[in-house]
Amino acid sequence: MANVTFRNVHKAFGTYVALENLDLDIRDGEFVALLGPSGCGKSTTLRMLAGLDFPTRGEILIGDRVVNDLAPGKRDIAMVFQSYALYPHMTVGENIGYPLKKRGIKGRAREEAVQKAAALLQLEPLLDRKPKQLSGGQQQRVALGRALVREPQVFLLDEPLSNLDAKLRSYMRAELIELHRRLGKTMVYVTHDQLEAMTMASRIAVMHAGLVQQFDTPDAIYNRPANRFVAGFIGTPPMNQIEGAVDGGDFVVAGHRIPIDRTAFVDSLRDGPAVLGVRPEAITIATGEGLPATVRLAENTGHETIVTLELPDHSRIAARVEAARRLDVGHNVALRFDPAAIHLFEATENGARLNRDETPASVIPMRSK
Amino acid sequence: MTAIATNIPKSATPPLERAYARLGVLLIAPTILVFSLVIVYPLLAAIYLSVFSIYTPTLQGGFVGADNYIELLTGKAFWNSLKVTLIWTVGTLTLQIVAGVGLALLLHQNIWFRSLARSLVLFPYFLSTVVAVLVWKWLFNDLYGALNQGLMQLGIIDMPLDWLGSMPNAMIGVILVGAWKFFPFVVIAVLARLQTIPENLYEAARIDGAGPIARFFDVTLPQLRSVLTVIILLRAIWDFKEFDLLYLLTGGGPVTSTQTLSLLVYQEAFGLNQMGQAAAYSVGMMLVMLVFMVLYIRQTKEKNA
Repeated sequence: MANVTFRNVHKAFGTYVALENLDLDIRDGEFVALLGPSGCGKSTTLRMLAGLDFPTRGEILIGDRVVNDLAPGKRDIAMVFQSYALYPHMTVGENIGYPLKKRGIKGRAREEAVQKAAALLQLEPLLDRKPKQLSGGQQQRVALGRALVREPQVFLLDEPLSNLDAKLRSYMRAELIELHRRLGKTMVYVTHDQLEAMTMASRIAVMHAGLVQQFDTPDAIYNRPANRFVAGFIGTPPMNQIEGAVDGGDFVVAGHRIPIDRTAFVDSLRDGPAVLGVRPEAITIATGEGLPATVRLAENTGHETIVTLELPDHSRIAARVEAARRLDVGHNVALRFDPAAIHLFEATENGARLNRDETPASVIPMRSK
Repeated sequence: MTAIATNIPKSATPPLERAYARLGVLLIAPTILVFSLVIVYPLLAAIYLSVFSIYTPTLQGGFVGADNYIELLTGKAFWNSLKVTLIWTVGTLTLQIVAGVGLALLLHQNIWFRSLARSLVLFPYFLSTVVAVLVWKWLFNDLYGALNQGLMQLGIIDMPLDWLGSMPNAMIGVILVGAWKFFPFVVIAVLARLQTIPENLYEAARIDGAGPIARFFDVTLPQLRSVLTVIILLRAIWDFKEFDLLYLLTGGGPVTSTQTLSLLVYQEAFGLNQMGQAAAYSVGMMLVMLVFMVLYIRQTKEKNA
């Protein structure tokens, strides 16, 4: 069993708090992405799991074993670094075989394991080359090979694709998904790229300012963001957040009323300031009835057009329309929101979501203490 | 377009490129001139002098052909000095490298006095050789030197040792002082390289199960290889022709026990006033050094390739 557990883990560098009360339960065989902007604590989390950094307090478990005091080499983990960290003076074969060599595996056994890993990653023709003779994508595969050669319990990947070009990145994404499916091992993947997290992970821990904001499936993260940060971090463009106030059955923004269904929200929802969240694709641009807005920018990406709209209170939101739709800059339009796609958040800086969901327990399923 | 291009003969250099080439020659001309005056001329002069028998004070003498070289090959002086030079170079260089790498590794650690220690370690290298030698001569002094005093108090020796006046103590003495004087160069060069080794490599090695010793041999040392090769070659060249430290400390003595080739050339030219013979020795010395030079050039070429 190689589930990974963080129990109330806290990490401070001097007076700077990198992580606060981190609780994560990663199940055996799961592919979990730690997603967040730089400085959110995701890499620190991974490095503590690897044993390269140490928690200020709290416990980290791999399987049933507390690994806090275990050296990195004894944790039965493997890590792929963003820079790949290949040993420059060793050949590809020696690089892949190194973890086995340090564990006293010699001769044929080691050679066979290296061959097996190389075959899995199509590295056989490169075994005698040095890392600097390889392309970025090949170096990346060698780093993966070195990680999987000794069949660890848990794979740790620290932004492994961020040094590759876009095309290779999408190829390697598919390769990694395939690899995870074949190996069935627990993988913890750190990234700041939501596309990587959304496409690869079975669950995503969205992190911000040293705190896990939401730990859930990609679907839940996108459709039921736990708070304003998650709503504003996921999606390109992200969810629009319109400041206003709840007044009976309406949400009021700059004097204009948008009808809402009060039963869709939690009982504690009171009249007063709130934030309305709506995804760009849930906005219909029309004329006549609706929230008045002015077209400020229309960006045609080929398969869709992203329209920037200015609301009466001069805030701006984005809408997604079909590419063929022509919208002239400066035109006044009326916006209608899909009622089923309206989210409400508390009006605080990182206000919690106030929707009543069918499966409310899926939001922040953190361990109860 | 293509029609115009084919009209120009392939061998012709475009006018602009020719102008740049002329400017280039003009710009390097002063360097070439100075280089010729201070390096090429003395070199040729030394070779020229080496086939004459010349009395230094008057610079008069006659052509002797290969006599000076025959003396070099058949006499004992050159070979004895070559042996002394090699012992001195290998001895002091080994100590410099071992102490230099060791201290660089220590100073690379996060220790609280690191920045102070990094400045202090340079001290011997900055110190004028004359001053350093004077201090060491006092330390080595057989009557009131601190070294003998210390060793006697520790009970290692019963009687004061004659450090610079007898063998092998004199050789040990110069090797020690040479190592002390020049190891900071090794520290600086190695430390600079150590700082460029990516931390990730050590982290990867730790995850791969490598302990501290394995990390030194599998990560640090291979990364230091190229810089160590250059340091060893450079220091070997410099130590091989070292003059002032040896001249001031022992003057080549006792008798000729620490007389390196540089000292032999000096002794021949200004002690025995045989400029021709000295020139022949220096040409011989240059040929030996050519080996180091070729190795060094090869090494730097390899790095650039």
